[in-house]
Amino acid sequence: MKALPKSRGSSRSLDRLLPIILLPIALIALGPVARLLLEGVGFGDGFTTEHLTTVLTRPSTGTALQHSLITAGGGTILSILIGATFAYLVALTDIRGKGALVFCLMIPMMIPPQITALAWMQMAGPSSTILKMFGLAPPLGSPQPLHSPAGIILLLGIQHASLVFLTLRAGLRMIPADLVEAARMSGASSFRVWTQTVLPLSMPSLIAGGAMAFVTALGNFGIPAMLGIPAGYATLPTLIYQRLVGMGPSVLPEVAVLSLLIGTVAILGVLLSRYVLSQRGFGLVGLSGNPLALNLGTARRPVEIGLWLFIFVILALPLLALAATSLIPAYGVTLTFTNATFDAWKEVLFTQPVTRRAYANSLMLATGAAAVLLMISLPLAWLMERRSSPLTRLLDGLIDLPYALPGVVLSIACILTFLNLPFTDLTLYGTIWIILLAYLARFFVVMLRPIQASIAQLDPAMEEAAASVGAHLGRRLRDIVLPLAAPSAAAGAILVFLTAVNELTVSALLWSSGTETLGVVIYNLEDSGETVMASALAMSIVLLIVVLMGIVQAGANRFPKGVIPWQS
Amino acid sequence: MAELEFSNLSKSFDGLPALQDINAQIASGEFVALLGPSGCGKTTLLRLTAGFEQPTSGQINLGGNTVAGPNSFVPPEEREIGIVFQSYALWPHKSVFGNVAYPLEVRRVPRAEREARVKEALALTGLSAFGDRMPSQLSGGQRQRVALARCLVFDPRAVLLDEPLANLDLALRASMHEVFSMFHRRTQATMLYVTHDQSEALALADRVAVMEAGKIRQFAAPEVLYREPVDCFVAGFVGDGAVVSAEITGRSENKNLILKVLGQEVQSRSATAEPSHVSIRPEAITLSSDAPLRAKVISCTYLGGRFRLTLDVAGETLIAFSEHRASIGESVGVTLHDLWAFRDPDADVVIAKSLAHA
Repeated sequence: MKALPKSRGSSRSLDRLLPIILLPIALIALGPVARLLLEGVGFGDGFTTEHLTTVLTRPSTGTALQHSLITAGGGTILSILIGATFAYLVALTDIRGKGALVFCLMIPMMIPPQITALAWMQMAGPSSTILKMFGLAPPLGSPQPLHSPAGIILLLGIQHASLVFLTLRAGLRMIPADLVEAARMSGASSFRVWTQTVLPLSMPSLIAGGAMAFVTALGNFGIPAMLGIPAGYATLPTLIYQRLVGMGPSVLPEVAVLSLLIGTVAILGVLLSRYVLSQRGFGLVGLSGNPLALNLGTARRPVEIGLWLFIFVILALPLLALAATSLIPAYGVTLTFTNATFDAWKEVLFTQPVTRRAYANSLMLATGAAAVLLMISLPLAWLMERRSSPLTRLLDGLIDLPYALPGVVLSIACILTFLNLPFTDLTLYGTIWIILLAYLARFFVVMLRPIQASIAQLDPAMEEAAASVGAHLGRRLRDIVLPLAAPSAAAGAILVFLTAVNELTVSALLWSSGTETLGVVIYNLEDSGETVMASALAMSIVLLIVVLMGIVQAGANRFPKGVIPWQS
Repeated sequence: MAELEFSNLSKSFDGLPALQDINAQIASGEFVALLGPSGCGKTTLLRLTAGFEQPTSGQINLGGNTVAGPNSFVPPEEREIGIVFQSYALWPHKSVFGNVAYPLEVRRVPRAEREARVKEALALTGLSAFGDRMPSQLSGGQRQRVALARCLVFDPRAVLLDEPLANLDLALRASMHEVFSMFHRRTQATMLYVTHDQSEALALADRVAVMEAGKIRQFAAPEVLYREPVDCFVAGFVGDGAVVSAEITGRSENKNLILKVLGQEVQSRSATAEPSHVSIRPEAITLSSDAPLRAKVISCTYLGGRFRLTLDVAGETLIAFSEHRASIGESVGVTLHDLWAFRDPDADVVIAKSLAHA
């Protein structure tokens, strides 16, 4: 008979040590937001409501708030119209080529908003390269039609339509097919089925999607910055940007109040939608078996043509305009086959030190954020799933906050927190580290959720089997959990990378000379009139993004459901 | 190999008791089945033994060492206990060879020895040709054998099997019975086998612990469970037959009690002088045309070689075997012999209830 081996001790101690990682994670992810809340009431110089009253009574604040509500509200209505049309047609009818249609509808969401704005500006106005090619450009000196509230609303609506689409389609999938079949058996036509059965049942997801689009539009910086600032039309995010860029850190208490104002409006929007939802909640009984496929009959081809035409107008046309602008020798010149040139591309990608630095910075930040988040998300997701405690559940509930809050709010929160590092004379403001920390906080959930989903799907017996044959916790995580969660982790890492490369709002407030990101450089190039180079840079980013999306898409069937945002 | 001992073992989940006061000893090399309906606590007992759960009170000894007790807890990875899961829990990213080799990798066994031992384990389970396959390329029975080989390879002190045949079809189950028996003979491992299927438990185990509602009702050899159940639950759960209430006459003959069952005086084996029930197995019933106790045939099923009759006798349902087909509704004579009488712990409650109603 063998004696029991002497306890190695390592496994138990790791089990005890692991929960300690919760602390720094909670600090990085939630610390800045908590710090911002304190700032609003004058933390540091004693409790005061002075900043609060000064800022809130200033007329510019009211105007910006009004502009924010108009553009975000209008954009949301447009998003709902576009997103809902696509969702109902894709989820309920027998149109063909759904996969390709959805992929194309998702591209605007993944393209940085300032690139969207730049592309659309190349499609309209007197200097539009593409209009000039066909001799359709308005005369020189006529205004850019997109430099207006209507332009902002249009682009916000298109940018966030996919949020409504995804939420609504997920909801439509939950509607039991037999409910629709029952309605049809009762003699209802396809249209009556939609108005009387599907529409009321899917209203909750429609409202939820609308709320998401509203909050995201409210925090959008790229579109109102590109279209609103030239027209003197300020929203709350652009007002904060202009103040902070113009006056420096001395206006921090003031912009903190402004960002709290955005946060409050965003949270009110979410609460309102929750309230409306609670008023019309009904449980759905039944199996969501086979997907619905209402027969469109002879209308199918026209509907398909209409949808693709729409995709062409909102996606292909602006990108073609952007591509056209990137190929002209100088801004304002008409593009022909003979004068098309890649000079701007060469200049931007290989010669200009700023753009090369920005590429390096953005890629470094995106890779760094993805890598750091990958390393901490795996043990954290494991802790949340396998060692659930009140603490992990609290963290689970709050960790969405930095991602859900508008980017400007998080940026201000990060400046406040890292301007003077506690207990030291060091500051992170103006270094690349503050951007990295902000990215870590903001994109945490993007990485965590897919890994969490795949660990939740993992049979606990896999780990128990490894434990029973003698593998301690560290080895189980490395040999069993890591390889099995790897596909989802990779998808999460690519998503973090994609979102971080796109990012403008956070970095617009945190950058300084030497730490420019791609989003910042595009904005600055356009701002200083270098539209051709801005277009070339933007086009190169669009290509990078589409390739990365394609890579994730190619591995789609290896991930658990819900990992890929455009495949709910 | 090591013996396994549970003393006063209890486990509650959120205050709800799942196991109460389990006391049992399993000898080194013994094959024990835990049998009971779902929710009886058999899997909880298995997981406590493996170390996946910590007991609420009581202790578990393995080979003379306390592995779980009031002040000590040895984690599963240090218990040297192998387990075969119902879902097999093969690691899908490792080949068959990789799955079986993993326990040895963890123990840092040198490569040459590791390969030799994995090959031996694969040969023993008839998997020599499948070493390079991935688990997804195997059939259910083959996956089961990989799980077994993975257990066997590191020479564990005890092997736990959690409903290992639940996911296999009937034909495969029969052949896996032989694999398990062979495995037990070859390794002489202490084995604890959880199942809700009594035929599996009775066929494979040296001793069977019948569990219900977090308690062991009876822990005995299969033939003892069948012939001498201790209460109504065991008598009804294990084997075919009927449980009928009995009245004491106070007389006995040839060491057997004389009891009044279904209005007849019959001799019965018993471990107690005051039994409340008798277990009537099909073998205890002889059918004849002229016996005074009359029964009506309710159903007749052919089992191959004989018929199984369900009989109604004075409102009680009995099971009997017959060599001839009987027609439904037919009246037959019944003679009872070699009955087993016991006192059901709930009998007092039942009697009190019937008195209250009367």
